[in-house]
Amino acid sequence: MKDFTGLSTYERVVIFFRPICLLLLSLPALGDEIFNKEIQPLLVKYCYDCHGDGSKEGDFRMDRHKDLGTHLSDRHHWMPVWRNLRSQIMPPSDEAQPSAEEKRKLLSWIESTVFKLDPKKPDPGRVTIRRLNREEYRNAVFDLLGIEYDTAEAFPPDDTGYGFDNIGDVLSISPLLMEKYLTAAEEVVNLALPDDASAQVPRVEFPASDFKNPSVPSTWVPFSDGAEFTLNIPIKWEGKYQLMLQYSIQGATEATTAAAALEISTGGKKLTETKLGWDQRRSIDLTATAKLQPGDQQITVKLKPGLAPAEGEEALYLSIQRLILQGPLDGKQREYSKGHRMIFVDGPAPEDPAAAKAYARKIMRSFVSRAFRRPVVESDITRLVSIVEEIDKLPGKTFQDGIKQAISACLASPRFLFRVEIQPEPNNPAKIVPLDEYALASRLSFFLWTSVPDDELLSLAFNNKLRANLRPQVERMLADPRARRLTENFVGQWLQARDVSTAPISAPDILGVADKRKASEIFDPRLRNDMRQETYALFDFILREGRPAEELISANYSFLNERLAAFYGVKGVKGENLRAVDLSEHPERGGLLTQGTFLIVTSNPTRTSPVKRGMFVLENILGTPPPPAPPDIPELSEAAKEGTNPTMREMMEIHRKNPDCRSCHARMDPIGLGLENYDALGRFRMTEAGKPIDTAGILVTGEKFSNVEGLKAILSQKRRPDFYRTLSEKLLTYAIGRGIEYYDSTTIEQLVAHMNKNDGKLTELIHAITTSAPFQMRRGDE
Amino acid sequence: MEKSHLSRRSFLRGFGAALSLPAFESFRPLMAATTAARAIGTTASGAPLRMAYLYIPNGVNLDHWRPDGTSEKYKMGSSFAAMEKHRADFQIFTGFEQQNARANGDGAGDHARGTAAFLTSARPRKTAGSDIQLGISADQVAANAVSSLTRLPSLELSADGVRKSGNCDSGYSCAYQFNLSWRSETQPMTPESNPRAVFERLFGSGSSDERAKSLGQRLASKKSVLDFIESDAKAMHRHLGRNDRQKLDEYLTGVREIEKQIEKAESLGLPADPGVPAPEGKPETYGEHLRLMLDMMVLAFKTDTTRISSFLMAHDGSNRSFAEIGVNDGHHNISHHKGNKDNLAKIAKIDTFYLEQLSYFLDKLKNTEDVDGKSLLHNSMIVYGGCISDGDRHNHDDLPILLAGHGGGAFKPGRHVELGENVPLSNLYLRMLHEFGIKEPRFGDSTGLLRKI
Repeated sequence: MKDFTGLSTYERVVIFFRPICLLLLSLPALGDEIFNKEIQPLLVKYCYDCHGDGSKEGDFRMDRHKDLGTHLSDRHHWMPVWRNLRSQIMPPSDEAQPSAEEKRKLLSWIESTVFKLDPKKPDPGRVTIRRLNREEYRNAVFDLLGIEYDTAEAFPPDDTGYGFDNIGDVLSISPLLMEKYLTAAEEVVNLALPDDASAQVPRVEFPASDFKNPSVPSTWVPFSDGAEFTLNIPIKWEGKYQLMLQYSIQGATEATTAAAALEISTGGKKLTETKLGWDQRRSIDLTATAKLQPGDQQITVKLKPGLAPAEGEEALYLSIQRLILQGPLDGKQREYSKGHRMIFVDGPAPEDPAAAKAYARKIMRSFVSRAFRRPVVESDITRLVSIVEEIDKLPGKTFQDGIKQAISACLASPRFLFRVEIQPEPNNPAKIVPLDEYALASRLSFFLWTSVPDDELLSLAFNNKLRANLRPQVERMLADPRARRLTENFVGQWLQARDVSTAPISAPDILGVADKRKASEIFDPRLRNDMRQETYALFDFILREGRPAEELISANYSFLNERLAAFYGVKGVKGENLRAVDLSEHPERGGLLTQGTFLIVTSNPTRTSPVKRGMFVLENILGTPPPPAPPDIPELSEAAKEGTNPTMREMMEIHRKNPDCRSCHARMDPIGLGLENYDALGRFRMTEAGKPIDTAGILVTGEKFSNVEGLKAILSQKRRPDFYRTLSEKLLTYAIGRGIEYYDSTTIEQLVAHMNKNDGKLTELIHAITTSAPFQMRRGDE
Repeated sequence: MEKSHLSRRSFLRGFGAALSLPAFESFRPLMAATTAARAIGTTASGAPLRMAYLYIPNGVNLDHWRPDGTSEKYKMGSSFAAMEKHRADFQIFTGFEQQNARANGDGAGDHARGTAAFLTSARPRKTAGSDIQLGISADQVAANAVSSLTRLPSLELSADGVRKSGNCDSGYSCAYQFNLSWRSETQPMTPESNPRAVFERLFGSGSSDERAKSLGQRLASKKSVLDFIESDAKAMHRHLGRNDRQKLDEYLTGVREIEKQIEKAESLGLPADPGVPAPEGKPETYGEHLRLMLDMMVLAFKTDTTRISSFLMAHDGSNRSFAEIGVNDGHHNISHHKGNKDNLAKIAKIDTFYLEQLSYFLDKLKNTEDVDGKSLLHNSMIVYGGCISDGDRHNHDDLPILLAGHGGGAFKPGRHVELGENVPLSNLYLRMLHEFGIKEPRFGDSTGLLRKI
């Protein structure tokens, strides 16, 4: 390949096909010289074996264009080069790899010379119209109508792309889903406005957290423990009341023989009792009636242990959801449901038809502008009101039935189900416009609240003052309890915290305890839930307290309850609620790398996987995922044959002798092996297979560490720029609902720079995203 | 809101009882059609012809799967113990390939490509989301042709209720890995994994008396809603760019499908009474979940609610563990067996487990009488298999594929059919489409009509 001294392969190709004088004429520019001297040699070295000199692996030729001018301006040609190089898909892992510096040089050359990116005129890209996903739909109907609708039950799972479930291009509507949207629209309206009750017997809900003593049953109570909870309920009127306790049975995925009993009593008098056993319903009701006097009344709920699970069966738990009090049942006191109060803003409908019609207009205008997140034209209101009238006229139907039908039409409309962003010249890629303020309000609310904008956002948009008040509005929104949804949905997916409850992990195998019941005394589903909450709590704290983002890795504190603390080996934490715990005496804990969530979701069902742990860190912390593995992977247990009872490290080293594996595993394994002090359940250990664990390692970037403390320090300090970039890319992807493209590189640099200037505060990253070009602007479709 | 609460067991008892009921009267007119040219979607006797595709992930243990010997006298692999009694009702193949699942320059991602290519015989474009492109699947080609005959054109099922967060296989969008059936190059047909929801979709909700009524009423009451949303969508359409329009078109297609269902409710009458209550709650085990979904497929075929169905029993790459058969390791994890005996034994156990579910399904079909006095199984074409042969090699040739049912008498089951080397799976699909009355010249990457079946 180096036989034509001084000439690159590109030149040779050109010489071969074109007269040399033309070549000389076409190469005067300085840019071409840079290409020939600095870029082309790298391409020859790393790409041409397969994609040049007549080879065209994967139907791709580096030297497709004979003319250099055409070559350097063909963006579509360079796009896969840029993309595969950046995500380390190319060169393949078994070929020579460019150094970090060479890679950077190639990428920035493509960005500036071929893509012609101008940081002053950023391309905002284009977000495909987004359908509400299950989370967004659930929150939207809760925020609009005050009802809980179980979308996980009602809709099939959303497809994901780029690691998130809110990507416009990926969210499709199949005929099945359309059917479900229609059914859901009806069910939601029926929940919000029950048929039999224009004015109902008063109804109060008490969440599980209102129960007292001896402990709060907000999580699961084992059948075997037994327990007694009390709830104080204020009674205004004397009379007969209905008490409905809602609960579920948790803990075992397969049927067990365990049993218990559940009793409700008040004033020492038993009202009802039921038997508990394995039951997979999401919510079960236990109903009783009681005569109650005015004043504070105490309700007692008692869990009485029964038959223990048979050997080998998992334990069962009671999970109390809420108690619903309805009464007095004589009907003398009446009130409207929450949904009713939100819809029928002026109370019952007037008798007079003209007045009723005007009222229908008012109701629909108010509802529809909130549901569609923007004002609608009068003709839309007229169409909805005619639905109201049409139904109202039918025999046996009422004004309320008409309103219900019109609302369900809104909930099935594409204007509710899609997040539409209208712009002029939607098919002109050169046309870049700022989002209108209503669309901006929706982008903010779906980003920070996973739901529709509230009235304050909409009224700012109406007055065209939202942009002017962006920062205070973002601050207000982050302080709102709805911001918790950002944590759950973003962290739940970025760090896979959603998965820890369902990750297939076999505690008996890892603990070496054959009996499932005994294993569940050490590791049970409540712990999984605690772990997930711990991860959320850390992110929440860093967000709310204006802490630097790298504390997600470096924190020497965490959020634990008694159970999780005991599992981690941290003493002195009492009670069921998570609280901040100082871990300066526990250097082995603190930060997400030491949390059960990360340690479990990256393990195989029966053992740790240093490769998966290393992969996770490369992908989600450092943003440098290795190329995917080749199909012929030597299995670890195969390697085990060569030694006797080897440690994980020894097995990995045998494995790494294979030159095909070495280049990638040199990047993943040191990280994963550095975390071998944690078993597949996240327990800390000093030995494995009877031998001390050696956690020392060197990252492929050269930093040395001896244990998890050292690794945490490297990731949060020396590699901080990588972490900031990765976090920025992930959060921007989540915020705008599309994958990161080549033209976003300038935005990402700006986000990272902003974080650097502001002590790495998470809140500042959010502010910077909401003011960035991709968030604020739209361009036409290509 | 109190729902009738029946246990899974009483549901199954009811189900068994229903199987002995005489066939539905509504099928009778079809029988009359036999004198004319054979109608689309029917057997030679005029009974409905059904088509189903069942997918198993991660390859198989070939030593225990492969048949020994040829044609009728072959010996089944040991994983097939439960299938021996169905010997006369299925044929097993060697030699199929799905070349579109191969890397061919796209690098890793054999699992995503496996699920995606299996039923489409098309090549998934490698993208995490921005420009998904695959191809129409064989079942949907058939569904388009018979959509006016049955209440639902097709039924898509899956047993993957919970999904993993984060990225899917090696840069492929999760849409490729979790959908077998594709309506077009860009639109997957979302499968349903909740047995109760499938039941209610087929037969309506509520008690059996209320069911037909409630579905009929629901459809009728939807008309003003449908008018409103359709005109909303059309008004919106004008303002959108190309990519946005594509999404809105999916929406409009969905609306039209519902309108068609309403029309069909008028022309075909209300849904049949399946004679069994809806299944309650979540299944107790994975096996039970699979069997419940297969029950739903039998009910859908039996009542002629649809003639076409696909079932992703687990997506390729699934790392599910099988506690109920003592395999606590993740399936994907051990599928990279590298010749290790323990792993191979566990894979064989999983293969056996899946084949037991198939055997259960075939039992049900065999014991259900169709309108022409034959069994449902006789009047069905059921493809069972996966798009990876050996989990360790991730190869997409020598695929584990079998075809159950007699296609209404068109097929010669009871054999091991050796195809030779690398016959496109699409040749089988094309033949099935022809049997179904759709005489397309090709499907996907097909090179001809498979005649040896």
